[in-house]
Amino acid sequence: MPLAALLEDKASRTGRRHQQGALELAQRFQRLSIAAREIAASVMYGVHGRRRAGAGETFWQFRPFVSGEAAARIDWRRSAKDDRLYVREREWEAAHTVFIWICRSASMRYSSTLALEPKIDRALVLGLAIADLLVRGGERAALLGLTPPLSSRGIVERFAEALMMQEAAASEEPEALPAQTGLPFGAQAVLIGDFLAEPERISAMIEGLSSRGARGHLVMVTDPVEETFPFEGHTEFIGVGTPGRLRAGRAEAFRSEYLRRLAAHRAAIERAARKQNWTLTVHRTGRPATEALLALQVKLESASAALRLAQQDPQS
Amino acid sequence: MIPSLPLAFAYPAVLAALAGLPLLYILLRITPPRPALMPFPPLRLLFGLRPKDDTASRTPWWLLLLRLAAVACLIVAMAGPIWNALQEAKRPVGPLIVVLDDGWAAAPSWDERAAAAARWLEAARRSAQPAAAVPVSGGGREITFIDPDKALNRLHALQPQPVLGNRLAVSQAIESAAARYPRPAILWITDGLDHGDAQEFAQRIAAVSSSVTMISSGRVIYALAGAENKPGGLFVRVLRSLAAGPAQGIVRALDRRGLLLAEASYDFKGAKETTAEFSLPIELRNEISRLEIAGERSAGAVFLLDERARRRRIGLVSSETADTAQPLLAPAYYLKKALAPFADIREAKPSAADPVKSLLNDHAGIMILADVGVVSGQAHDALARFVEDGGILVRFAGSHLAGASDDLVPARLRRGGRVLGGAMSWEAPKKLAPFGRDSPFYGLPVPDEVTVSRQVLAEPDPGLAAKTWASLSDGTPVVTAARQGRGLIVLFHVTADTTWSNLPLSGLFVAMLRKIVDLSEETSEGADSKTAGEPRAFEAASLAPSRTLNGFGALGAPPAGVTPIPAGFSGPAAPEHPPGYYGPPGKSVAINALGPDETLSAASFSGLGFQEEPLRVSGPIDLKPWLIAAAFLLLAADMLLSLWMSGNLRFFAPRTAAGLVLLLGAILAGPAPSSAETGAADISPRDLGAALTTRLAYVASGDQKVDEITRQGLISLSRVLARRTSLTPGDPVAVDPARDELCFYPLLYWPIVATRPQPPQAAAAKAAAFMKQGGTIVFDTRDALNARPGGPPTPEAKWLRNLLEGVDVPELEPLPPDHVATKTFYLIDNFVGRYTSGTAWIEALPPVPPDGTARPARAGDSVSPIIITSNDLAAGWASDPSGESLLPLVPGGERQHEIALRGGVNLVMYTLTGNYKSDQVHVRDLLERLAH
Repeated sequence: MPLAALLEDKASRTGRRHQQGALELAQRFQRLSIAAREIAASVMYGVHGRRRAGAGETFWQFRPFVSGEAAARIDWRRSAKDDRLYVREREWEAAHTVFIWICRSASMRYSSTLALEPKIDRALVLGLAIADLLVRGGERAALLGLTPPLSSRGIVERFAEALMMQEAAASEEPEALPAQTGLPFGAQAVLIGDFLAEPERISAMIEGLSSRGARGHLVMVTDPVEETFPFEGHTEFIGVGTPGRLRAGRAEAFRSEYLRRLAAHRAAIERAARKQNWTLTVHRTGRPATEALLALQVKLESASAALRLAQQDPQS
Repeated sequence: MIPSLPLAFAYPAVLAALAGLPLLYILLRITPPRPALMPFPPLRLLFGLRPKDDTASRTPWWLLLLRLAAVACLIVAMAGPIWNALQEAKRPVGPLIVVLDDGWAAAPSWDERAAAAARWLEAARRSAQPAAAVPVSGGGREITFIDPDKALNRLHALQPQPVLGNRLAVSQAIESAAARYPRPAILWITDGLDHGDAQEFAQRIAAVSSSVTMISSGRVIYALAGAENKPGGLFVRVLRSLAAGPAQGIVRALDRRGLLLAEASYDFKGAKETTAEFSLPIELRNEISRLEIAGERSAGAVFLLDERARRRRIGLVSSETADTAQPLLAPAYYLKKALAPFADIREAKPSAADPVKSLLNDHAGIMILADVGVVSGQAHDALARFVEDGGILVRFAGSHLAGASDDLVPARLRRGGRVLGGAMSWEAPKKLAPFGRDSPFYGLPVPDEVTVSRQVLAEPDPGLAAKTWASLSDGTPVVTAARQGRGLIVLFHVTADTTWSNLPLSGLFVAMLRKIVDLSEETSEGADSKTAGEPRAFEAASLAPSRTLNGFGALGAPPAGVTPIPAGFSGPAAPEHPPGYYGPPGKSVAINALGPDETLSAASFSGLGFQEEPLRVSGPIDLKPWLIAAAFLLLAADMLLSLWMSGNLRFFAPRTAAGLVLLLGAILAGPAPSSAETGAADISPRDLGAALTTRLAYVASGDQKVDEITRQGLISLSRVLARRTSLTPGDPVAVDPARDELCFYPLLYWPIVATRPQPPQAAAAKAAAFMKQGGTIVFDTRDALNARPGGPPTPEAKWLRNLLEGVDVPELEPLPPDHVATKTFYLIDNFVGRYTSGTAWIEALPPVPPDGTARPARAGDSVSPIIITSNDLAAGWASDPSGESLLPLVPGGERQHEIALRGGVNLVMYTLTGNYKSDQVHVRDLLERLAH
């Protein structure tokens, strides 16, 4: 029978090991991403030109100077060619913003002997790694409710810092679900957690987040024990996060029913996600983190491609 | 009490609690094991589930069994179980006669015998019956029935006797006792030996009483008999009473002071008799005075040896030279044949310049000169001194002796001789007269067929009769003897071959020689210093006991009532003269419990209707602590198992368990291969190679760089040695003094690396042994650059001091300029290596004698076992094949490399040739060369 344990509260806090793990994973992922690029060959990432003048790097057009404008904006080289004054306009370029949320509730501290690491470690590593990957690709990443969108190179350290500060300040248990604030249109959300809350709450949360048209991805981190229910004999189950105990005389008798309920729970979440055009990825801590990262990246890219198309449509 | 098992309980009532076990079984069965606590995040999903079968799983049957066994153990332990509880003897119905075989055969199990007898006497006391304890050794003493308490006291005073008693005498006493008290109960505690009377005794007591119980130990009885000191070794017969029991064992040989000299193993191989052999040098064999079977405490298992069992070493010189061509014509042939059974004969090598002296140097106790006429001056003096010091000189007449004259004869001889029965004589060959009382040959039968046809004659001086040991029927002496100093000169007036007499063909000849040889110990003891020629009684009429064995085989003062044995007594021990030594010290005669050809046989008592009881050997064993320990272990196992089942035993993970199983397996399987290895300890090919070729060796320090330089240095030195000297050494080898055998290497180079750990104690001990056995170790501290004279010791010096702590290092001195090591091949001043400033320390030579004869080279008695230098010799030697030094030298130069190599050559030559070069033979050459 596999054994399971909860991490100590202290041990579960965001720390150096998560930064290190995330950076290593992202590094490793660069090699994996060669394969990923072939899958998503058509998808480009980075800064996306908006086909109109605005803040950006690349040249868009020269336009005549309008009096009242700041003189500093005059492009003197072009203006010297004739008598008129020109202003150099650049194409408006905007990066996508991805909001990341990492569940740090008590149930995430669960780890069994079948798992490679506790769920929270896996979630933090995944979240920080995807942030690093995005920033290196030119996108902006934000920790939902904690940081503004950032594109600094040291995104992992910044995020980790923000997480640690919140953990140090927070007096109560972190929530199992993020606050239902609407995300801006065009933004994407990456929610990493075990999503063991009631499907109705999850559905409400998704709807709240996507109220302004944001898309999102749920990454469900589960322990292999939660998937397979390999218990036998006289066993007393102790709730994690939720109060309650359950004494099973013969644990193996619960297995089939539990597995059915788990599948139903998943299906409910997936339905809620699909309704808002969100995606759901199930990741087991018994598997390496790269799997989840690859899947998540592909989904992010396809989503941003779709988003770009959606944004271009009104222009053309 | 269980009849079939020797198991009893102190409180049998407690066993009733065992009935509660089924109840416990039910209780345990319905109490489930403690649930495993399992945190489970998706617990919400489980709420409200109602599985079909949710009865708690029950305690597994094996755990139940374990607990029941633990409880059963406890209950049985509380009942006070006793294994082998002493059972009460049956109470006798009539007066009880306890007949106790108390010969030596009963000694090994005496305590149990006494305890069995006591048990019966106790029973008799309880039933208020009179009793008698009758030891067999008591013989036909009248049996009086007394109070069992008194009988017990008497029993406790009994000790096993060193001889076997006469049972028939006891049976008579029993018969007469039975006439007075009818129908006695008889208990016979027998030793199981049938020494001629067991069957009859059994029948007779069976006739007396209908209630005969016999207790026998069933033990196999071992004994020694008939030790013989043969030419090849000392042989002793080992006997046992039954062809059962352990077939192998050890006979130990002890000397007079009780020190162990040797052990010999024996193996019965199913038979009842075998032989143990001590193949020792004769000097050691002659020291043996007592043989005993190890682990067998009885007088029968002890064999005492006296002077008669010693073998003498006899030097034999004969005048003949071509003995081997016609052996029957040579006197030595007859002498060898006659003496070989009881003495070792040494003959001088054919090439020996002076056979007499060489044999005397061989520590012969008796010298026999067969017809040797003239003994040369030096040999004569040596012989005279030999006789003065207690040796026996036996001479045989012959043509040489008849024509010569010397004073190493007991009586003056008439020149010429006397021929009887020859063509020119008128008398028939004479026969021997019976021996006189004063003669050591007294008592030997004189066979009729011995005739003497020729002899040398003694001058009829006064006192000749006293010197005569044997004479012809007409009174002319044939054997004369005279004391000289502490020794004895014996002259046979006839030859040792058959030309003058047929005495050498008779058994008398052997007996006479034997008597003479027996005298040798006496004379060498030097007990008395009688003047030459004085008559003396060679044997006392009777020998008083000096020390006797008790029943357990220990020597002690003889008990009262032991009678002296007559002189010449050679039978086995009897009650009136138990085994032991008789006679004065130095001349004592050993009497043993068993005669030389005696055997042991077990008695058989089938068909007599005796009740037989075994002699209980093992005492009662209280099983309580064992059972409690077992219960404790079982409960501990139960606790561990319960913990494991509820998942709280983390460390008892499968991996750990597998490790434990492997470890157990390794422990169980481990010793087998190692014992196989020790069985066949082969010589490693490396040792074989080292033994076949002389090679230089170095101690691997473990520092790779240093070891490589050392190896290169020794290779270079070996190359130079092969090129310049007659020594062609093999490739140098690295040795580990702790592991490798060092004795193959004359020279061991040991570079000191202070950073390496000290070698184990065994390595230092082996190095010390190597130095003791004549090896030389060159310690090179390689620190000549860092060391300052008078300054603190360098780390290397400290390391070396640590190493040599506890090693017996001789006194050292700086290499003196005239030390032989500086002259053995080249003339050098110092051992130079990579550096030149260091001093070589070597074993201090004896100081120059005060008369001051200046010698160019001095040497001690042996090679210095240790040389300590700091010049890094190996680095100085190391060169490439073309002779270029591999390392930069300090101060440097081609010359220094050459001098270093020369020092190395000298060093090797010194260890191989020792002080040879200090010989005066070379002094002139050395002086000449020193003058240049």
